[in-house]
Amino acid sequence: MLTQTNNLHKMRDLVWAWTVRTLRGRYQQSALGWLWAIVQPVATVAIFAVVFTRIVPVDTGGVPYILFSYSAVIPWTLLASSVTDMATSLVHNMNLVGKIYFPREALPVAALLARLVDFLISFILLVILMMIYQIPFSLQGLFFLPLILLIQMALILGLGIGSAALNVFYRDVDPLLKLVIQVWFYASPILYPPSLVPEQWKWLYFLNPMAGIIASYRDVLVYSRMPGEYLWSAAGISALIFVAGVWFFKRVEYQFADIV
Amino acid sequence: MTPVIRFTNVSKRYNLGLTRTSLPSILSQWVKSSLGRQRGMADKKIHWALQNVSFAMEKGQSLALVGPNGAGKSTILKLLAKITNPTVGTVEVNGQLSALIELGAGFHPDLTGRENIYLNGTILGLTYKEIQKKYDEIVAFSEIEEFIDTPVKRYSSGMAVRLGFAVASCIEPQILLVDEVLAVGDASFRQKCIERIKSLLNNGTSLIFVSHDMGLVRALCERALYIERGQLQASGTSAEIIDMYNRVLEKKRIEKMSGLDKGMDEANAGIEVTHVDVLDVNGNIIREARTNQPVVIRVKYTAYKDFGKANAIILIHRSDGLLCCNIRTHLDQFSMSIEKGEGEYFLKLDPSQLFGSMYYAETWIMNSDDSDGIAFGVSEWFEVRNSIQGHEAHKAVFEPNRTWGQNRVTHNDRVTAGSTV
Repeated sequence: MLTQTNNLHKMRDLVWAWTVRTLRGRYQQSALGWLWAIVQPVATVAIFAVVFTRIVPVDTGGVPYILFSYSAVIPWTLLASSVTDMATSLVHNMNLVGKIYFPREALPVAALLARLVDFLISFILLVILMMIYQIPFSLQGLFFLPLILLIQMALILGLGIGSAALNVFYRDVDPLLKLVIQVWFYASPILYPPSLVPEQWKWLYFLNPMAGIIASYRDVLVYSRMPGEYLWSAAGISALIFVAGVWFFKRVEYQFADIV
Repeated sequence: MTPVIRFTNVSKRYNLGLTRTSLPSILSQWVKSSLGRQRGMADKKIHWALQNVSFAMEKGQSLALVGPNGAGKSTILKLLAKITNPTVGTVEVNGQLSALIELGAGFHPDLTGRENIYLNGTILGLTYKEIQKKYDEIVAFSEIEEFIDTPVKRYSSGMAVRLGFAVASCIEPQILLVDEVLAVGDASFRQKCIERIKSLLNNGTSLIFVSHDMGLVRALCERALYIERGQLQASGTSAEIIDMYNRVLEKKRIEKMSGLDKGMDEANAGIEVTHVDVLDVNGNIIREARTNQPVVIRVKYTAYKDFGKANAIILIHRSDGLLCCNIRTHLDQFSMSIEKGEGEYFLKLDPSQLFGSMYYAETWIMNSDDSDGIAFGVSEWFEVRNSIQGHEAHKAVFEPNRTWGQNRVTHNDRVTAGSTV
């Protein structure tokens, strides 16, 4: 349908239109609208705050627990929600895939962008919380934040695009992914600081790229310090996952329309 | 000149069975085979939707794909649109291509018409700017200005189709694929779509068209391919292919009818039609006649018992399925009676007045009060040629006996002229 040279340029508009469609579809006819982007992480943090300050106190390193928790919950929510959305993005639009030709990756990419908008909205609340607790925005933060986000996006894209393609062939991917994300949540430093992990297991622990990513977010946002070395291992693993996911997607893409 | 489209030995295979084997089904297979009930018969049904299809198409041509359901026509369109890939062979497409395969497939019910124009346009490969430029034209064409800010879920299906066609056709592609999408929508919109497609054709767009509406095929396409069971059976002008398609359809219908007829025979066990022939006035069986010549349709029957008073019907069908006449002894007050033995009855049309095309005759022998058929038969195809050969020969139903006239009043005289054909 399109000449290959124009493909990327045209895909940009398609991805944008599809992102807008996803957002409108999600928030139209809902009373809270885009506020839902904040409600979810705020509710999660509220529960954690009760449990982990009153019942089982966690050592946050002198940082208010709410900030400690919220700064980890929003990147985690970005990952969990976008990967699950991306995984079903092709299957839920099979009628489209089977009937019209367009760059197929537009669907999962738009699913990610729509969740990224949620992330940015909830990030505004983080900035407000930082101002309330009078935590200064450090230079490291400003410098590293886009890089950390980029690494996280690579991880999400690889996982999400790969799962979207695999889900076309095996619908088990969707429920399996939800299960994995549940376990993954506890394997990442969201409820607790990574310092709780015994030193001899740290190497294993940081094979989980989300551990490095979340720890780095916290480093630059709430502790005003350079991210630890774990950010680089997270970057490497995320890059690998990105390449593998995109490679798999491209390899099986031509079969999508035949398996509806 | 390089063709805009070239299919070279294209085959497409689909797996009809389970596309993936689930763990429970593997287990149950295993249990069954170990119990010796079934010997490892995998649930792999393979279907070749297309087999070894080759054709090419030049720029600016219009080509129809004709054939029964499930012949593989839509598969060809999907291959052209790059929705799916061939299993064997190559598909070459040179030029920007737009497919009207499923109108409004990209519509989101919760979004308004305006939002959907942008969404659907980008899916079809337009950029935002291009859509912005054509927005007014799209809205005007779809005739839904007043509902443009209403969510599409509140549209009637006709409105949604109009919007879909408006978006898809504003692309002005070099190659246009149209699948059975014009069947929806009212007659005036359909006409508008046809005009639109024609104007695209005049501007050098190449068209590939799939439809079961032979009138549309004739109106839009110069050439056609006849496809059946995944194979390219014939290629020719659209008139030739349409004729072929209609004959196949009629043959199927007749086979079905004679199946009914057999059942009827057993029930009555009394009479059968042995021959239905088309004759000239001299009693010779003919396969060809002219509009201005008489034709005789003669039916021979064998009766195994006395029926007494009976009736007959003769129907003449044109190759596109049009019933051209329905003539009944009952209504013409012609009384017939059938006794045991052989006999015949005939109907003379003088002249036939049929317009140039392919026809066949169908006859029914009816009971005494014309309420039930007791025997049935059909003739071979016969061709009628127009008394005057013309360019638009297919665009009429009959050629009546006629008289032309003209009256003129000049300043000094009244003139009357006439000519009878």
